[in-house]
Amino acid sequence: MDREGSRPTLQVEGAQDVVVEINDPELVIRCQQGDTQAFDALVTKYRTRVHALIYNMVHNEQDAWDLAQDSFVKAWKSIDRFRGQASFYTWIYRIATNVTIDWVRKRKAEGGVEFDDALNVQAEPGSPTAPRPEAAPADKIAHAEIRGRIDAAIGKLSPEHRAVILMREIDGLSYEEIAESMDSSLGTVMSRLFYARKKLQSMLKDLHANV
Amino acid sequence: MQTFEEKFTAWIDGRLSGVELQRFEAELASNPEALSGKEDAHRLGDLLRKEYRAPELRNADFFNHQLLQRIAAETPHRGEPVETAPAFWPLWRMAWAGGLSLIIAAVLFHAVVRPGPSPAPAAKDLLAQVLDANTADPGVTASSFQSQADSVTVLWLDGLDYIPADYVLE
Repeated sequence: MDREGSRPTLQVEGAQDVVVEINDPELVIRCQQGDTQAFDALVTKYRTRVHALIYNMVHNEQDAWDLAQDSFVKAWKSIDRFRGQASFYTWIYRIATNVTIDWVRKRKAEGGVEFDDALNVQAEPGSPTAPRPEAAPADKIAHAEIRGRIDAAIGKLSPEHRAVILMREIDGLSYEEIAESMDSSLGTVMSRLFYARKKLQSMLKDLHANV
Repeated sequence: MQTFEEKFTAWIDGRLSGVELQRFEAELASNPEALSGKEDAHRLGDLLRKEYRAPELRNADFFNHQLLQRIAAETPHRGEPVETAPAFWPLWRMAWAGGLSLIIAAVLFHAVVRPGPSPAPAAKDLLAQVLDANTADPGVTASSFQSQADSVTVLWLDGLDYIPADYVLE
């Protein structure tokens, strides 16, 4: 997985059409000096992945948008405390994971039901949120059903198990990166992965058997 | 020491090798269900990667715009003085004020409260002038001097006329 895929760029002040590629540590230092342009570049680089991680945990686009915003605001406010022991990538993942886990717990404690966007895909086949808009309507419906099943199964996992399985299987993070992102030990990450896989395997056996 | 769960996870993700791998697979040999677990786990991963993709972040530029507006509204600009509610004096200032108060109190005590010069030294030498001495000559003054250490008291008369050596006080 290419985490440096789209390298962030900054427009040099006073020099039109001059674009400079800057790495994460340098951008972080600029952020610590109050440079919001540098932070904008970091957000551009990681917003899609952060949003996707959160979306897969909460299953709702609007909530994912709001939680991703909250995560980045929190990151900006605490950027002075970022010392660079971990990568910015795992640091922002940690913030996003904590913000989302807190939200899921609070929501459950309030007795709220997680809204599932996948249920809407069937009603609105032309929705721009559909992952493969070019697919035939029958495929879309089938996909929506599968997505709904997976959503339901993942929704039954604890927030920590959800985060671990998504980071590992969808984002392809290593155990070490997951441990950093969740502020846990390697053993805890591996143990959570074991149980998350086991539960999903039993709930989705008929689906993954046909993959 | 890794638990079975940790080893199993490492085995599924191909993180076991060499002797460790051989030992673990020997351990699993008697458990065909566990052996098939590896394939199931890989299929589950494939299913998730294929079917569980989050939708694209729509209006991504607006995401940044909204975020930067929130940041501008919620955080003070760095470098500008932060206006904070007037808090109680900080510790260093209280300590400084306390020390200063003690110094002022000590000066006032020495200047106002403490009585004049310190009493006579330990040696009990007393000197007194007798003011009401009945003498025939008003020019005569009497003083007494007492040394307790030597158990001696001297009466000193000043202004007397010459007394002949053979004069005997009766």
